[in-house]
Amino acid sequence: MHLLGAPHTNVTRCSKPALTIVNYERYEADSSARGSVSTGRIKTRIHCALFVLVLVPASSRAQNDSSSSSDHETIAQLIEQIKQLQQQDHDLQERIKILEAKQPQASPVAQADPTSPPVPQQSAEQTPLPDVPPAPPHDWRDPHGMQLLGFGEFNYKVLDQRQPELGTEGFVPGSAGNFYTGDFDLFLSAQMSDKASVLSEIAVGELDHQTFNVDLERFLLQYEFSDYLKMSFGRYQTGVSYYNTEFRSAKFLQTTADRPLIAQFADEGGLLPSQAVGVSITGAVPSGKLGLNYLFEYGSSDTVRPAINGSGQIDDENNGNHVNVGFFVRPDVLPGLRIGGSFYHDKIGNSSVPSTVRIGQTIVNAHAVYVAHGVEFLNEGFLIRHSVDHGGAVFNMPAFYSQISRRFAHIRPFFRYQYINANPNSIFEDVDLRYGPSFGARYDFTDNIAFKAQLDHTVRKDQPDLNGLQLQIAFAF
Amino acid sequence: MQNFMAILLLSYLLGPALVQTSLAQNQEVAVVVNPKNPISNITKSELRKVFAGEKRTWAGGLSIKLVVRVTGSYERVVLLRLLGMSESEYKQYWIAQVFRGEAQAEPVALFSNGMQKEAIGALPGAIALVMVGDVKTGMKVIKVDGLMPGATGYPLY
Repeated sequence: MHLLGAPHTNVTRCSKPALTIVNYERYEADSSARGSVSTGRIKTRIHCALFVLVLVPASSRAQNDSSSSSDHETIAQLIEQIKQLQQQDHDLQERIKILEAKQPQASPVAQADPTSPPVPQQSAEQTPLPDVPPAPPHDWRDPHGMQLLGFGEFNYKVLDQRQPELGTEGFVPGSAGNFYTGDFDLFLSAQMSDKASVLSEIAVGELDHQTFNVDLERFLLQYEFSDYLKMSFGRYQTGVSYYNTEFRSAKFLQTTADRPLIAQFADEGGLLPSQAVGVSITGAVPSGKLGLNYLFEYGSSDTVRPAINGSGQIDDENNGNHVNVGFFVRPDVLPGLRIGGSFYHDKIGNSSVPSTVRIGQTIVNAHAVYVAHGVEFLNEGFLIRHSVDHGGAVFNMPAFYSQISRRFAHIRPFFRYQYINANPNSIFEDVDLRYGPSFGARYDFTDNIAFKAQLDHTVRKDQPDLNGLQLQIAFAF
Repeated sequence: MQNFMAILLLSYLLGPALVQTSLAQNQEVAVVVNPKNPISNITKSELRKVFAGEKRTWAGGLSIKLVVRVTGSYERVVLLRLLGMSESEYKQYWIAQVFRGEAQAEPVALFSNGMQKEAIGALPGAIALVMVGDVKTGMKVIKVDGLMPGATGYPLY
């Protein structure tokens, strides 16, 4: 156990004269942290340092009578330095006298808590010099202005497709490879009070033949009663998957160049209802070291997804209201670990059958992720169940992805494996069975700019395997 | 003689930095809150959640205001060690937190202990990490895992 401020006093020991003299100005400037050191001790140390500096050249001269002329020049320089230091010493002593005269008038700012450890007395740094006017107090209240964040990306993709595939995100179906911009996101938020805030996210996405559309990804009024109850009203991204809520729509936040297909946004060919309008309630459950949290969502969505086989077909699911309930734990025993799941249910239609036929859609999710100490290990599994009303067909479609990466300085190599087994008779007939690995690396040029290179190999049922290369620059500003 | 002078010169130049570094490595860091905050103890895991923005209100509903030191300070090193992040990961983490709607902005990073003291006094829900030697009057130091700075087993250093 050591006393407060004690370590600093070691700086001025006479056994290290050179250090003492150079450090003196720093010592004085940072005197607030060393308030317990008396001015008398300061003077003693200055004199001690000067004494040693005088002795060093003197003793050297005695040991070597035939010293060279360069030694004499060095000694002359040292004498000049000593004179300068004496002048500094004089100036500092004058300043100390002024500060000592001011010290009794200084009043403590506030009383410390009686349980606090002893703290150094008011220091010179806290007392304004006579000729320096006091600075106006800073306004520490939260700024209630608008906060703006932006995310952008620039992509190049090559596919060895023999028939058109993945006609989304600006990629031209049927081409061997082309550039595209992907999404450009503008995120705005404003704190309206300590508890209330509003946020919006507007994405400009690239469509076919280099046209662009504007999509309101999120628009939410949030009210945070406490850690146990936070309510959001408006357009939100559903908690149907961990990936959807963790990475939102910013490619910069993702390690990989793209989302796993199961977690892809519906308007990019994804299978899940990724967005909705309604109310979302989240919060912690008092659970001690378990770190239990809950999620409840009730809202309306209208998922419209293009077929990913480049056929140009678009499915409008005409979803009804949905309910989504989820839980996850973040146990204290292993910071960075999160384990959870969710249960989603709504009713959807099928564009190819009469609108009176509805399909009950249930999506069960489970995830276990670990993100800490440079390691990212994501595992998420889904079971999508479509049940046609009035005793019709039932399709159970499993999917999962697993992704692992490790950061080494600026580079983060990653590996991902994904699997989807959609029934060809369901509304996901364009997906069918597909699985395969992706691997590559992310390189962070700065804290805001990243370059990603990714190779994909996808096995497709009754179709040739698909190989792809994606290069991406993603950035935040 | 020339060698001796060279050593002396090197000591002039490098000594203070080396001494300061070694001192900082041995310093404990106190958890400081606004004097009006009734909290007197916090666990290390709670502290990590607070500085990660996972816990955002004090008991009673008062919003937590994080006050941190800028890059390069010893308190920042301890903060990153507490969170298990590098400086770069910390910055990207807060970009993500803001984007998720989990935080309004990255915690305010201050250049000096004087500014930190002023912020803690002005913001009722403020919490900060302060080197024990820099704790000043007007700062309320709370226990971590039931231990005050200086006690054997104190976890923040």
